[in-house]
This record gives sequence, C-alpha cells and structure tokens, in this order.
Amino acid sequence: MENILGTNLDRIVILAYFAIVMGFGAYFGKYSKTTSDYFFGGRRFAWWLITISIVATGIGSHSFVKYSTKAYQYGFSSTMTYMNDWFFMPLFLFGWLPIIYYLRLGSIPEYFERRFSREARYLATFMILMYMIGYIAIQFLTLATALYKIYGIPLMLTVILIAIATTIYMHFGGQTSVIFTDLIQGFILIFAGLLLFYLGLNFLADNTSYSSGLKALWNNLSPAEKLPLANFNSPPDFNFVGIFWQDGIAGSIGFLFLNQGLIMRFMAARSVHEGRKAAAFNVLVILPVSAIVVSNAGWIGKAIVNAMGSDSPIPADLAPNDVFVTVANLVTSPGVFGFVIAALCAALMSTSDTLVNASSSVIINDIYRPLTKNRGSDEEQLKLARLASVLVKVIAVCLVPFFNSFDSIYEAHGWFHSTFTPPLVVGVFLGIFWRRFTSAAVIATFVVGAFLMILGQIYPSLVSPFSHGIEFRPGRGYSYIGALYNLVVCAGVGVIVTLFTKPNPNKNLTGLTIFDVHKLKNIFKGSEVNESIGKPVVVNYKIKDLQKDMVSFSEDDMKILNAKKGDLVYIQDSRWWLGGLKSIHATYAEPHKDNGIVYISQKQCDSGMFIDGLSLKAEKEM
Amino acid sequence: MNFYQTWLPFIYLYGIGGVSFLLGTLLIFKTGALRVNDPVHKKWIWVLFYGYFFYAFIHAFFIYLAVESV
Repeated sequence: MENILGTNLDRIVILAYFAIVMGFGAYFGKYSKTTSDYFFGGRRFAWWLITISIVATGIGSHSFVKYSTKAYQYGFSSTMTYMNDWFFMPLFLFGWLPIIYYLRLGSIPEYFERRFSREARYLATFMILMYMIGYIAIQFLTLATALYKIYGIPLMLTVILIAIATTIYMHFGGQTSVIFTDLIQGFILIFAGLLLFYLGLNFLADNTSYSSGLKALWNNLSPAEKLPLANFNSPPDFNFVGIFWQDGIAGSIGFLFLNQGLIMRFMAARSVHEGRKAAAFNVLVILPVSAIVVSNAGWIGKAIVNAMGSDSPIPADLAPNDVFVTVANLVTSPGVFGFVIAALCAALMSTSDTLVNASSSVIINDIYRPLTKNRGSDEEQLKLARLASVLVKVIAVCLVPFFNSFDSIYEAHGWFHSTFTPPLVVGVFLGIFWRRFTSAAVIATFVVGAFLMILGQIYPSLVSPFSHGIEFRPGRGYSYIGALYNLVVCAGVGVIVTLFTKPNPNKNLTGLTIFDVHKLKNIFKGSEVNESIGKPVVVNYKIKDLQKDMVSFSEDDMKILNAKKGDLVYIQDSRWWLGGLKSIHATYAEPHKDNGIVYISQKQCDSGMFIDGLSLKAEKEM
Repeated sequence: MNFYQTWLPFIYLYGIGGVSFLLGTLLIFKTGALRVNDPVHKKWIWVLFYGYFFYAFIHAFFIYLAVESV
C-alpha cells in the first residue's frame, strides 16, 4: 500500500458529502411517477438547469485525473479537447436537436429503427450499451484510484462501495434526481476546481519571488508549455492531429449526437429553443471554465517543480496520474482537501448517474419494449428500469479490471472514442444528412466497418497512410489517429453499399432527415403550427375535468397569449427559480369568461405538483 | 519553437474544422432548418459565427503570447 493521503477530517468531509447527495437524490425521487419522468424528467426544465446539469455530466472524475496528468506533462495544450466542440454546433442545434425532440425519440437506437430498420436498431443498441457501460467502468476506476490513496481500502472494494452509493439515489430518483443532484454537483465541482486553482496560485506566489500567483504560473512554464494546442504530430501519446480526429471529430460528434445521457438532458428541456440555449451556453461559457477546472492542478504542479527545482515538495519521480491528488493535498488545508476530493466524487456520481440512467433507458426502450409482446404496466416498467440500472452497474464493476490494464486513463478513454464511436457517427451522420443512405448500408457500416477497424488494429500498416507522420509504436500501434482510419473505412463502406442498394422510399423518411426539419413542429403538434408571438400570462388555477390534456383560459388571456384552441401551452409554477420542476404541457380548450383563471384537471394539478394558492405562469408553445 | 508546434495545429484546426462548420451552416440554411427571416433564428446566426471566431481568437492569442515569451 502506498502512502495514505489526507486527514481524518478529510475522510469525514468525503463521507458527509456522499450522504448529503444520496439524501438529496432520494428526495427528488418523488418527482418520478412514470417512465417518461424517470428517463426524460417530463420535458419541462429551463435552459439554465439543463446547462448546469450538463456541466456535471461532461466533467467526469476521469476528467480531473486525465487532464491534470496531461497538463502536468504538456502545459496549456491539455485544454484543447474542451475547446474544439463548436464546429458541429450548427448541425446539432438546427439539425439533430429538433429531430430528436420533436419526434419524441426515446433513445438513439430508436432513431436507427425509424430511419433504417429494426436490425439497425439492435446493432446500434449493442454498440451504445457497450460504450456507456465501459464509460461508467472508467469513472468507477478513476475515483477508486483516488479514494484508495485516501482510505487505504483495496481498489476493487472501493469500486463496489462507490457503485452501491451511486445506486441508492439513482435507484429511486431517475432523471429528475439526476438533474437536481447534478445541479448541486455541477456547482460544487466548478467551485472546488476554481478554489484549487486559487489556492495553487497563492502557493506559487508564497514560494516564488513573483508578486502574484498568475505571474508566477506564467513565468514558470516554458514557452512550449504555454501553447494552447499540442505539437502537430509528436509525441505519439499526445499530439494535435491524432487528438483532433479522435476527440475534435469522432469525440465531438459522439458526444453531441450519440451520447444518450446528453440527449436525455435535452429531451428534459421544456422546448427546443431552451435546449439550444443550454447547448450554446455550455460550449461557449462553461467548457472554457471547465478546461481550467480540470487542468489547473497539473499546471500548478509543473510550475512548482519548475520554480523550486530540487526543493520542490512534489517528488521528481511523481507518476503523472497522481498529480491531481498530490497537488490538491499540497496546496489545501485539512478539510479543504476532503472537499476537493468530494468534488471528484461529485464528478463521478454526476457522470455515472447520467450514463446509468441512459443505459437503463436503452435497455427498456430498445430491448424490453420491442421484444416483449405482453408489456407490463408503466409501473412495472419503472421497476424494471430500476433493476436495469443495478444490472448496468454490476457489469461496469466487472469491467473495471480490464480498463485498469491500460497504461493510463487518457489512453483507455481515447481507445473508447476511437473504437466505438466511428460506426455510430457515420451511421447517424449519413442517416441525417443523406436521404439516399440505405438500411443495408448502415448495417454494413456497423458490421464490415467494425471488421475493417479490427483489421486496422491487427495490421497497423493499414492505418499508416492516415498517420500524418506520427511515430509508430511497436506493440501499441497508432493510438488517436486510428480514429481517422476508422471514420474513413466506415464511411467508405456506407457510401459504397448505398450506391449498390435500393434506397428507402422518401415517404418513409418524413421527419427523419435534416431536409424535413421545417416540418417537424407540425408533426409534433399534429396540426398547423401557430407561430404568432404572444405574451405570457400569470393566472390562478381551478380544478375542472376537461378532455385529456386540455386546459381552459379566458378569452382575454388567450388574446394576450395570442393562442387559439388546439395550440400547445406550457404552464409552470410562477417561481422562476424552480426552473420548471413544477410544470405541465397541455392543449388549449375552448376559452371561458373568468379572466386570470385557468381550468386544469386534478391529474394535471398532481402531475405539475402545483400548490393551492400559488399562481401559475403560462406561455403559448406553438 | 517551430511551425509544427505553433501555427500548423491552429491552421489545421480552423481549416478542417472551419470546412465542417461552413458545410454544416450551409446545409441548415439550404434545408430551411435555419430561417433568415425568423427573428429568433437571425440571432442564432450571430451566435454560431461568434462561437467560431471566439475560439479562433482565444487560440491565436495564446499562441501569440507563447511565441512572444520565447
């Protein structure tokens, strides 16, 4: 056993944090009454709530360890994977997001069935589940590696304990719990990361001759360590061009278009517009901040070593993977160190809960429902979803030893992106943007593409034409740039097979490609969309039984809303800071004469959890 | 520091990435997914281009500072 880090106070802080989050998550379980609530949170949340919960999903525990490792080795270029996600935003915001939202897709594999065939759906289900469960296993491994150094409990036992702790609140809560626990965890991990940066800068200022920590940091990094992008094609384990294709292209498309957890977040937004705001704010504001949050321990560590030389408290032979915990322990006081490690726990819990919820959604929506003739009630399916989330964690725990055999977490993660995303990326991309792309072609992309990818791993000479001059490492192949080869062979197979097979009739593709995005609102509403702009109204509610999903406003209120009978309305508790937690979607019924009153059914009142005497805010949707 | 360390990654990133960005933007215009005459969509056009140049500026600025610090 290596040196145990931290004090008893730190250990208590970490345990207290776990207990608080579990209680918080279990409390929000009461908002999950149906499988729709459990998986999608009822499509009701404001953009800012979605944004913060995306932060917590995007920053996994592996992020702190992986990026501080590269920051320690290579400086500011550790941030490049957080700063290359904008290129596909036009297609995501105005192509993919409206498609998944307005078609009410339950999962990514469901898109493959509707666009192609049931066989395509099963293949996509298998690959997406493999990807997500493996990702969860990496999260468990990373956090267990850190906690192992603090508690001294054997690694695999730590993994099991983490899995049990995260199961408790996930099991009862579902997506609403995930969103709300991720809200506080998102704040905590950003705050803890920035606090660590601040304390690290203070440490540098105190231990060097510079007047401020920022000056000390800047002047104690070499010019190469100040560059924001890595060297073009060397060294083999961290070069710009390989990481660009693996992360900037395959990873970005995979994250935006195929990450079931992220897609479910956007499905929980109250509208496509709110989803767009959440996505844009996340990439433009939160990701640059996150890059600092996850990398700064490495920069501080490197500056300390450069500034203090042989007097440095950081050992010269420090394993780069340990730099996060070592620097955190060095620059913080007892208790604060525990808080920073609790943030690492927050990152793990928030990322893995999203992935577990997404995996159980895929199991129910893409395996159970299509394969079962006599489906149980929604309540029984909810129970199954909870059991599925436990099963996913058990499999993830079993996979941990496999990922522990990689040289580093960065490489394990890179292997994932370059192996599992290219066939799916090609399938979904050509499916959305090329009407001619056929069902046979997508299956060939998955099967033949996977075969050619395996060939590329066995015979690296196949990858070498794509290598951009990156050095070949015997026994380890071309790591990141393999993603380019994988993308090319999968796309090549897809295009060739499409050209030799008969395309699906266009009428079967309505709403499933970008060419029909302008029709999606009509498909969603089921009638002509009312695009006229109205104003929100604040009203009180009275209970009255109307037709299913209908609500009735006064004629005057309808004029202010600029709404007509049959239009869609979103009604929420007027307290904005609830972010749509208490809200419903409904359809306008015939208006009445009582101004300032909306008639809703008892069921709608229960579903929105509206409180008697508190006003509601209503807005026309379309 | 040589060209492979400084400006080549930048040119490659915003060259290949820029082509992907422009093709995507053209596609959403052409298919009517993004409508120029919609006031809400008009704001989004600005946001999309702002995002591209925002990141290009940050990267270029830090490369410049690093080169100057040699």
